[in-house]
Amino acid sequence: MKYFLKLGFVLLLITVIASGILAFVNDLTKDRISENKEVAQKEARAKLFLQPVSFEENIINLPAKEQEINPLKKFEEPDSLEFVYYVGYNESGELDGYDESDELVGYCFMDSLYGYSSEVKTMVAVGLDFNVLKIDVIDQLETPGLGAKADTPDFEERFIGKNLSQMKVKKDGGKIKAITGATITSRTVTQSIAEGLKKLKKALGREAE
Amino acid sequence: MSFITQIFTLAVFAVFVNNFVLSKFLGLCPYIGVSKKIDSAVGMGMAVIFVMTMASTFTWLIQEYLLIPYQLEYLQTIAFILTIASLVQLVEMVIQKTAPSLYKALGVFLPLITTNCAVLGVSILNIQENYNFLGAILNGLFSGLGFTLVLVLMAGLRERLEKSEVPEAMKGMPIAFVIAGCMALAFLGFSGLNF
Amino acid sequence: MNLRKEFTKGFVKENPVFIMALGLCPTLAVTSSVENAIGMGLAATFVLTCSNMIISLIKNLIPDKIRIPCFIIVIASFVTIVDLSMNAYKPEIHKSLGLFIPLIVVNCIILGRAEAFASKNKLLPSLLDGLGMGLGFTLALVLIGSIREILGAGLWLGMKVMPDAYIDSPMLVAILAPGAFIIMGLLMGLIKLVNKGK
Repeated sequence: MKYFLKLGFVLLLITVIASGILAFVNDLTKDRISENKEVAQKEARAKLFLQPVSFEENIINLPAKEQEINPLKKFEEPDSLEFVYYVGYNESGELDGYDESDELVGYCFMDSLYGYSSEVKTMVAVGLDFNVLKIDVIDQLETPGLGAKADTPDFEERFIGKNLSQMKVKKDGGKIKAITGATITSRTVTQSIAEGLKKLKKALGREAE
Repeated sequence: MSFITQIFTLAVFAVFVNNFVLSKFLGLCPYIGVSKKIDSAVGMGMAVIFVMTMASTFTWLIQEYLLIPYQLEYLQTIAFILTIASLVQLVEMVIQKTAPSLYKALGVFLPLITTNCAVLGVSILNIQENYNFLGAILNGLFSGLGFTLVLVLMAGLRERLEKSEVPEAMKGMPIAFVIAGCMALAFLGFSGLNF
Repeated sequence: MNLRKEFTKGFVKENPVFIMALGLCPTLAVTSSVENAIGMGLAATFVLTCSNMIISLIKNLIPDKIRIPCFIIVIASFVTIVDLSMNAYKPEIHKSLGLFIPLIVVNCIILGRAEAFASKNKLLPSLLDGLGMGLGFTLALVLIGSIREILGAGLWLGMKVMPDAYIDSPMLVAILAPGAFIIMGLLMGLIKLVNKGK
């Protein structure tokens, strides 16, 4: 009996020491970890505009669309309830003697959709006419050499100047040329941008355009 | 999609499209090590299915009722691997008492299931993929089935291989890997499945 | 005990991947690019060296019956430290390596060396053993990763090493699953051949 107690005690001791050290390391790193995400998104937003832009964050609640309930996954409140978009204001200051500061430049949002093998996050900048200015696929783990090509300028520039009515891959009747051999990923990016555009228009009350 | 369809989808994806061995690279050590004879492959496979299902159950519960409420997520690795190690120990003791012949047959492979990355892998994946309790158990079960399927197929192929002329340098593990690669190529075809 | 030998044996003679066939799962999974290979290799080396050291220090305090769970706790702790640190300071690599960082804890190399060596030897040899085996593992990963990245994408560490025509349509299968298996098999066969010749 005493023997088992000794075994249990040693195990417990080691576990407690280990947990203590890990709690310490966790404390050290957790702030940095959540910060990294913020910083990455901020940088991605800034990169989308040609001139320096300041962003005003707007959060709006949109009616959640009917989400299919998967009986095998944890039920989450559908998070399409909350849509975050950014209004971009010109920050380049004086230009030709004309003070352009605070001039509305466009909007920016991020949309995320599950692609072939991972969640694909796309950052989109649109102009005042709701034509796409630039996009940046900022997060994906699709098939290297195929779907992963979505994260290249070659694919991303196919969206420049397109509007919502053209926002489908050519196969589906739209104007976006898909990546050869990566239809699913191409469709995913296109769809997520279309969804985001719809939400943005709804948020600004300009669905008719 | 109805309940049954969801389960069917999960099963097909876990066994074929996202096969643990041929597409996720989990469970390779036993895959290469135990697949020489069909009998041992079947026995190992059964044990792995059982452990993976049980492990999914317990690790999910620990994550849900211990790690999350007390904000101890950083202890996930330690908690999960200790759970699995204890589980395997328990299974070993139970098999020893109730089915001594099976115990003898599996021999040293039983404790090795602890280090089978498929077991820890499925536990972590269940959390990452946001499965609820039922989803986690089923994912563990089907992933284990996928592992066993591929293990037994491989054993069948390797038993045949004994009688073929394989270049000396390739005998044993090298040719096993190449064959696994061919199987992986075949399974890659499943990735087009969509419903 | 020849300390230099303890250090270098993990490179070729007792290379954990090619000779002892340990740590296979991460080997195939993370070698689709050299950058990932180096990341994983260094992470595993860190865990292996540290756990070897700690285990060698406390080996006399651990009752024999529970030595495996104790080893596991030590190894898992270092894995968690690496996991958290990578997430904080190198998030891109942390994301690419993904699931395989926590899986370092079941890397048979680490538990294997703890059981076979660190629990029976003094601090310095254990440290060298861990470091050597870890570096041997990293070398193996980088070798396989190089082959796969060059053939499958025409790049090495992200730099172009093949003519543009090749990069436009490379041998994609090399960075996909089947390619990993086949390349591994052929490499093992080649090494066996070379060893036999000696």
